[in-house]
Amino acid sequence: MKEILKVSEISKTFRLSSKQQKIEKTDRKTKTAVEKLSFSAYEGEIFGLLGPNGAGKTTTLRMLATLIRPDEGDAVIDGVSVMKQPEEVRKKIGFLTSELKLEDFFTPDFLFDFFSDLHKVPDEIRLKRKDELFEKFGIDKFAQVKVANLSTGMKQKVSLVVSLVHDPDIIIFDEPTNGLDVITAKVVTDFLLELKSRGKTVIVSTHIFSLIEKICDRVGIIIDGKMAVCDDLKKITEEKSLEDVFFDLYFERKGDEI
Amino acid sequence: MKNGTLIIFKKELARFFGDRRLLFTTVIMPGLLIFVMYSIMGNAMTSMLDTSDEACKIAAVNMPSAIESIFPKENYEFTEIDGSELDDAKEKLSEKEYDLCMVFPENFEKSLTDYQPGQNADSVPNVEIYYYSASISSSNAYSSARDILDGVEQQISNVFNINFAESAEDMAKYDVATEAEASGTFLAMILPMLLMMLMYSSCAALAPESIAGEKERGTIATLLITPVPRNQIILGKILALSVMALLGGLSSFLGTFLSMPALLGDVDDAVGGLSGEYYMFTDYVWLIVIILVTVMFFVTIISVLSTLAKSVKEASTLVMPLMIVVMVASFASMYASNAKEEIYWYFIPIYNSIQSMIGIFSFSIAPVNMAAAIMSNIAFTLIGLVVLTKLFGSEKVMFSK
Ligand SMILES: Nc1ncnc2c1ncn2[C@@H]1O[C@H](COP(=O)(O)OP(=O)(O)OP(=O)(O)O)[C@@H](O)[C@H]1O
Ligand SMILES: [Mg+2]
Repeated sequence: MKEILKVSEISKTFRLSSKQQKIEKTDRKTKTAVEKLSFSAYEGEIFGLLGPNGAGKTTTLRMLATLIRPDEGDAVIDGVSVMKQPEEVRKKIGFLTSELKLEDFFTPDFLFDFFSDLHKVPDEIRLKRKDELFEKFGIDKFAQVKVANLSTGMKQKVSLVVSLVHDPDIIIFDEPTNGLDVITAKVVTDFLLELKSRGKTVIVSTHIFSLIEKICDRVGIIIDGKMAVCDDLKKITEEKSLEDVFFDLYFERKGDEI
Repeated sequence: MKNGTLIIFKKELARFFGDRRLLFTTVIMPGLLIFVMYSIMGNAMTSMLDTSDEACKIAAVNMPSAIESIFPKENYEFTEIDGSELDDAKEKLSEKEYDLCMVFPENFEKSLTDYQPGQNADSVPNVEIYYYSASISSSNAYSSARDILDGVEQQISNVFNINFAESAEDMAKYDVATEAEASGTFLAMILPMLLMMLMYSSCAALAPESIAGEKERGTIATLLITPVPRNQIILGKILALSVMALLGGLSSFLGTFLSMPALLGDVDDAVGGLSGEYYMFTDYVWLIVIILVTVMFFVTIISVLSTLAKSVKEASTLVMPLMIVVMVASFASMYASNAKEEIYWYFIPIYNSIQSMIGIFSFSIAPVNMAAAIMSNIAFTLIGLVVLTKLFGSEKVMFSK
């Protein structure tokens, strides 16, 4: 199997403002969100990053998506380094998180065309892809409705579609089912499985065990910015359930703090 | 394939022209508001100045008929009263039954004919005029009556004339400035200030929304994960913002220009017809170029501030101090009748735009200085673009919460 994503010892430390210090209840001026994190993902699989709130999942995915730079370490995506060629990386990936918003004023139809242009997608391909994706997600009826007037679920679907205008081979998805009702969540997870069946590589982050169990081939459990374990889901869950594995790891590392 | 700058530019314009409310508040409303406000102000001022067609009513004690005949009959209506009725008449000033009460000394005419040049000031007769300053018609009547009596006084003790003239046209011969120059001086006084402030506020109304707003709403990150280079995103936005700011500025300018006649009224006559007809094609070209580079500079610097801000509100606060700089620089230059000659003034942004415009309007363009001003604005805009690119690349700036 081809190793399409290789993350080597990436770290990220944030400087905390005094306001953030208060929220985090700490005197320290910095917060290491991710510490020497390494893992690999293989072509055609769904890789899951599992971790509690504040574990550093979003930070890791943002570094892979080149929105922020690792302080040290590097990640190579399909042969391109996020440190050295972030623009090339952006061509290869589709990144989706609920923090990436679409402008309320525009319609899904306009936004699809706009982002297609930014990704330099040829016109014929764009039209075909738009029809396909809009139909699959039921956006076609809302294609001319401003984003502001769409429901949360429909907005999420439009965001998803817009992040895939260039049909990337690697899809990075932060908390794919957050804030969605069970029906929309199922549409999204089914779509992730479909992407996998088409040979795409999918990286998702979540704190929901069932999602990992349902769709992931391999999983990495992050606790406090560090990789606690990273292996095939089958291997990890051979002896006990994913939940038990997680709690064992968690208390092993954090037990003294609780 | 299409260029990123163009795609962003078109999107920004689509946003702008597609949003009727935004278009209305940034383009149509400023001009309309200025026009309506200035027109009302102008009309109010005119009606205040030429108070009513009604004659002013004056209660007079010991009014000599010779003096009364000097006051035009159609404008002044005299009521002869006795000295004992004076207090009563003064009461009626506040009731607006009378506009003025005039009290002449007894034998006023005789003391005039007895007048000796060099006579002691306290031995000359005193005319008392009571008025009610809380009423505009009374105040106006007071000053016009004073003027007439002053005229009478001057005729009696006339030693020499200054600019003696039979008529207004005759009067104009003393002003050796050509009509164009007079008009130019006036425009040079008002327009640079007006243009600078309108341009700045037009930019300040748009850029914070487009940059800090996108940051605040999280839509800019969606742009930043596309492969489009940051500098193309920035350039697309700056160009679009400049176009919109120019439209906004143009609207405000039209509003101002069209309300000028109502606002200035008499001033218009005084400077021999305020119009741009004296300016040549090259003057307009200079002006347009100066306006273009100034707007680009404004948009860029406001964009830098908006990028540093976390929210539209913060951005609006950040752009205020610069507005004050623009205002102070404009006001400070208002009474300079000619543009500065030394070239170094033309390297200072904002100030160079004001000076260049003064130069254009007052027919004192120095092409070298204009070129310096244009180059300087372009240079500062480019520096601003580099700074913006740096800021857009900084995760601390773009993703700070
Ligand atoms: N820009 C930032 N400045 C300061 N601290 C940050 C910043 N971004 C993240 N952090 C901190 O880094 C830690 C990891 O955050 P991150 O968002 O990666 O966690 P997460 O695993 O995605 O959590 P969640 O499940 O809540 O989304 C948190 O403690 C967070 O407060
Ligand atoms: Mg997260």
